[in-house]
Amino acid sequence: MLNFSLLADATDHAAATAIGVIQPAVDAPDLKWAGLIIGLPALSALLCTICGAMRVRSKLPAFITIVALIGSFVLTCMLFQQLGQGAPRVVGLFEWMSFSWGNADRFQSFSAPFALYVDSLTLFWMLFVTGLGSLIAIYASEYMESDVGKGYTRFFGGVSVFLAAMATLVMASNLVVLYLGWEGVGLASYLLIGYYYSKPSAVAAAKKAFIMNRIGDLGLALGISLIWVNYGTVDYATLFSVLEAGPTAGHGDWMPGAIPFLLMLGAFGKSAQIPLFTWLPDAMEGPTPVSALIHAATMVTAGVYLIARMYPLFALHEDALATVAWVGGLTAFVAATIGMAQYDMKRVWAYSTISQLGYMFLGLGVGTTFGAGYHVFTHAFFKALLFLTAGAVMHGFAGQIDIRKLSGLRKVPGFRLVSYLALLGCLWLSALPFSAAFFSKDTILTAALGSERSDFQFLGWLGLLTAGITAYYTFRVWFRTFAGPVHFEAGDDQHDAHDDTHDAHHAPVAGLSLGAKHDFHPHGPRWAIRIPLILIAIGAVAAGWPAYNVLFFHGENWVQTMIAHSSAVAGSGEVHGQDVLGLSAHLMTSIVGSAACVIGIGIAFWMHLADRSAADRVRGALRGFILTRWIPTTLENRWYVDEIYHMMFRLPLWAGSHILHFFDKTVVDGFLVDGTGRVPVAVARLFQPLYNGVLQGYAATMAGGFVLIAGWVFWIWLRGNG
Amino acid sequence: MLSSATAMLALAAFASAGLVMIMRPGARSIRLAGSVLGLAGVAGLFVEVLKLASGGAGIPPVLPVLFGAIAIFGAARVITHPRPVFAAIYFILVVIASAGLFLLLGADFMAFALIIVYAGAILVTYMFVLMLAQQSPQDGETSANWYDRAPREALSCVIIGFVMIATLGQVLFNPNEEARRVASSVQGEVQSDADLWNTLSRMPKHLKSIAREKLQLSRDEPITFVASDPNAVVQSDGKDHFVVVTAQGKDQRISLSAADLPMNAQVVGTTLVRDYPASIEVAGVILTMALFGAVVLARKQVELGEDERRVLAGLSRLSVEPESGGPR
Amino acid sequence: MTELLATYDASSVNAALLTSSLLFGIGLVGFLSRRNMIVMFLCTELMFQGAALAMIAFGRVHGNPDGQTFVIFILTIAAAEAALALGLVVLLYRRRETLDSEAWSELKEC
Repeated sequence: MLNFSLLADATDHAAATAIGVIQPAVDAPDLKWAGLIIGLPALSALLCTICGAMRVRSKLPAFITIVALIGSFVLTCMLFQQLGQGAPRVVGLFEWMSFSWGNADRFQSFSAPFALYVDSLTLFWMLFVTGLGSLIAIYASEYMESDVGKGYTRFFGGVSVFLAAMATLVMASNLVVLYLGWEGVGLASYLLIGYYYSKPSAVAAAKKAFIMNRIGDLGLALGISLIWVNYGTVDYATLFSVLEAGPTAGHGDWMPGAIPFLLMLGAFGKSAQIPLFTWLPDAMEGPTPVSALIHAATMVTAGVYLIARMYPLFALHEDALATVAWVGGLTAFVAATIGMAQYDMKRVWAYSTISQLGYMFLGLGVGTTFGAGYHVFTHAFFKALLFLTAGAVMHGFAGQIDIRKLSGLRKVPGFRLVSYLALLGCLWLSALPFSAAFFSKDTILTAALGSERSDFQFLGWLGLLTAGITAYYTFRVWFRTFAGPVHFEAGDDQHDAHDDTHDAHHAPVAGLSLGAKHDFHPHGPRWAIRIPLILIAIGAVAAGWPAYNVLFFHGENWVQTMIAHSSAVAGSGEVHGQDVLGLSAHLMTSIVGSAACVIGIGIAFWMHLADRSAADRVRGALRGFILTRWIPTTLENRWYVDEIYHMMFRLPLWAGSHILHFFDKTVVDGFLVDGTGRVPVAVARLFQPLYNGVLQGYAATMAGGFVLIAGWVFWIWLRGNG
Repeated sequence: MLSSATAMLALAAFASAGLVMIMRPGARSIRLAGSVLGLAGVAGLFVEVLKLASGGAGIPPVLPVLFGAIAIFGAARVITHPRPVFAAIYFILVVIASAGLFLLLGADFMAFALIIVYAGAILVTYMFVLMLAQQSPQDGETSANWYDRAPREALSCVIIGFVMIATLGQVLFNPNEEARRVASSVQGEVQSDADLWNTLSRMPKHLKSIAREKLQLSRDEPITFVASDPNAVVQSDGKDHFVVVTAQGKDQRISLSAADLPMNAQVVGTTLVRDYPASIEVAGVILTMALFGAVVLARKQVELGEDERRVLAGLSRLSVEPESGGPR
Repeated sequence: MTELLATYDASSVNAALLTSSLLFGIGLVGFLSRRNMIVMFLCTELMFQGAALAMIAFGRVHGNPDGQTFVIFILTIAAAEAALALGLVVLLYRRRETLDSEAWSELKEC
């Protein structure tokens, strides 16, 4: 457990303790085949492009992508097998950037080779990225089949690009290659969110995602530049060894303090934390496999990965970590409150993702990278499961995803498996005691509650409250959709099109209309969808094994070991902490967390299954009481964050652009350019009477000229010489 | 008192004002007043200018002033007379007065050449053309054309003229110390007579005839000059000019007097032939070109029709029917 | 200059210079103000007169015959120019049947 009081004295010893012992990297040129982990998806992207150019109308692109991704996964497993834990390996693939300039200065060269830095954190991340990527690709091959020949190739091309970029990001050996991967995943996300490019809302969502990410990327780019300026290197291995000199490593003064804040800005952008989170719900415009893969399991964890990788930088600055914790904790709470009032299932899971990412950042901030990493791992599985089951529902009900229009789906033939797998996912999300997610969330909250800092303790309590809210909204969705009487309405024909519920201004679900369309028959998913769902569910359950290992077999937590051997070692210790209210923090968290989960599920059961009109009554009661009137509408309107951003940024920019346009037209165009054009004309008109064709006028001008010349000669020139 | 320059400007202004009043077609009284004013101005200018010429023989300079006044009067009438023939005649008057001034300045050859060429040739040509281009006036009241009666923009023209005269006057007649220094650096300091003696040196034939006459030798007796500087045969000892010749076997010194100086025509002729032969040739070429130009200009202009012009240029005819070649 | 002029019968030189400048000025005024083309050329001849007179006067000042030589050439040029000018005037007269220079003010450059 990180003891922040020790950081008060910045001695080298304390610094080394602060960032932990990071093993120096070892060159491993024999591992060049590991480059294929990036290479295979890249190759598949290229092949998909060729398929697109040749107008392939079969499922070939999906096949290519699945093969490539499974290949990547296999290679990752092989790499894991070969290395396991140990010193990080640096595998140089090819020379990319390298300049040097002669100067009597310290900065004489900059080099960023395209190389891989393979340590246990990398392998840990790559395992679930490639694994989930392969499974979701298989799922998508059936899910997107209605688009075969139309956009199928484009979809899988985008997925391949994404996996290649994500692999680059995670396996990079220096910050520049990481930035390359960072931008690549942003690009893939843009391409895939905007997959339905004929829908204006999808296009707008894609732009919004990209632009918000850009804001974060600015912070990341500045951070990388400052790292280079301050420490002289962007390479991980060199950087870590430099950082062992303590907080005054590099040039000191203001830069080391600013770098973590800039990096965290990039992380917040990519991982949708406050203030850059509004893009993620809108990103649900993309196809559901995209939402599952990119915006739940893998891409949004890139921010967590960044901070974990750069943890030595953060560990040296207490304020940075505190900021991360606060942002994470607040985001978790706010997103959960919004999730309580949404009607679109995918949007609820989106806000849930934001909320769970908040937990991960909270974990990083309070000093347990182990907890954060474990939560990433478990979250990837159960969130992917939830999204994919939602996708199965959409696939079967022609795009219907509104929880007010679906009910009792577990009794619909063909959807039983989906419903129960969704139940598994929901239970994990609610941190059911002794589920994998329970352990990971527990670790984070223990670290927070047991911290010496009182603000972290507050965040811990807030996190527990959020856990209760999470359980509530999760089961609100499940009880509404999969339980209760059977009723469904088909959505619009277009696959994944949900044109309503952008603004939740509708009345809450009040009563059910039994006039379901009788001529619409939902079709349950086939095996290409079911098998990945089952496999992911198994993975979600199996993700708890490391914790079971510790609890029941007194072994060691595999995740913890993996993280302990990486650069995030500083937070990988056992989480103990102080006693809270007489009990150990660990026990307190477990009890209160379990209670919150059960209470949340219970409330959801009452309001959304047992007595469905209770939801309306509660809402009416809230609106009736003057102090709580604002609550339901504000939550339904997502705390008006989008509107606030519109006011703060878009309107001034729009006004500014109009002013500048006006300025450009009148001043620059009209006055300067046209005015300059009019000057010769005016001058010509001024002198025009000289050329009026009258002979004597010309003579007069000549006489005048002569007078001037004579005068000049006799009075000025000759006088000067005389 | 006003400085000389300012006085001259003021007088020039008066003269210009007078000119304006003369030029504009108005009542006779105005024109009379204008002429009086102009005359007064010109007279004053003459007085100022002659004041600058300090020294001299003390004789009142009647002739230059007279000739000058006549010339100016004639010029004024040239530009104001409504009938062009009379303007030409007044121009002849100007030429004659100018010739008189030439005489006073010692250029007698030029004076007569001026009269012969200008008054005799150029002005006669002008008269011919005026006859050719004669136009009968529309209204029989006066015998002058409407465009001859009134000047165009008299005031602006006179202002321009005034500016010109003021400039010229300031340049020429500036009594400044500086101007004098400037002027003296421009010109040489040579006495006119010395130049004439120089010219005499360059006229060996004339000199020989003078020497022969003084020595009373016959025309075919040889005679050569002895001089230290072959370019300056005529030598001077401060009081006298003489030339040393070798005749009849002995050196003799012949003194020359002012009567032996060459005449103006001889001087001009010698200078032209000895110093500016190329210019004479060029002048001849120019005159030939003028001759050719006049012949070309005076050809009868034939109005060619469109078709004829096209045929000349090598293009096809426009109209189909046979062209009679008549006027269009 | 004034003292030197005194030596060369300065009064006649000065009078001649004054006359020449006045002739030139009056010729300029006449050229600018008359509309009859022939009279306009006559006024240019007046200007020639003024120039010639000035030449002679300065030749007298310098004491060499260069001034008179130049006036000979001036005469030559004046004669040639007068001939050609009058020829052109006759041609123009034939075109427009008038000697008014206003008739030719269409030759503008704009």
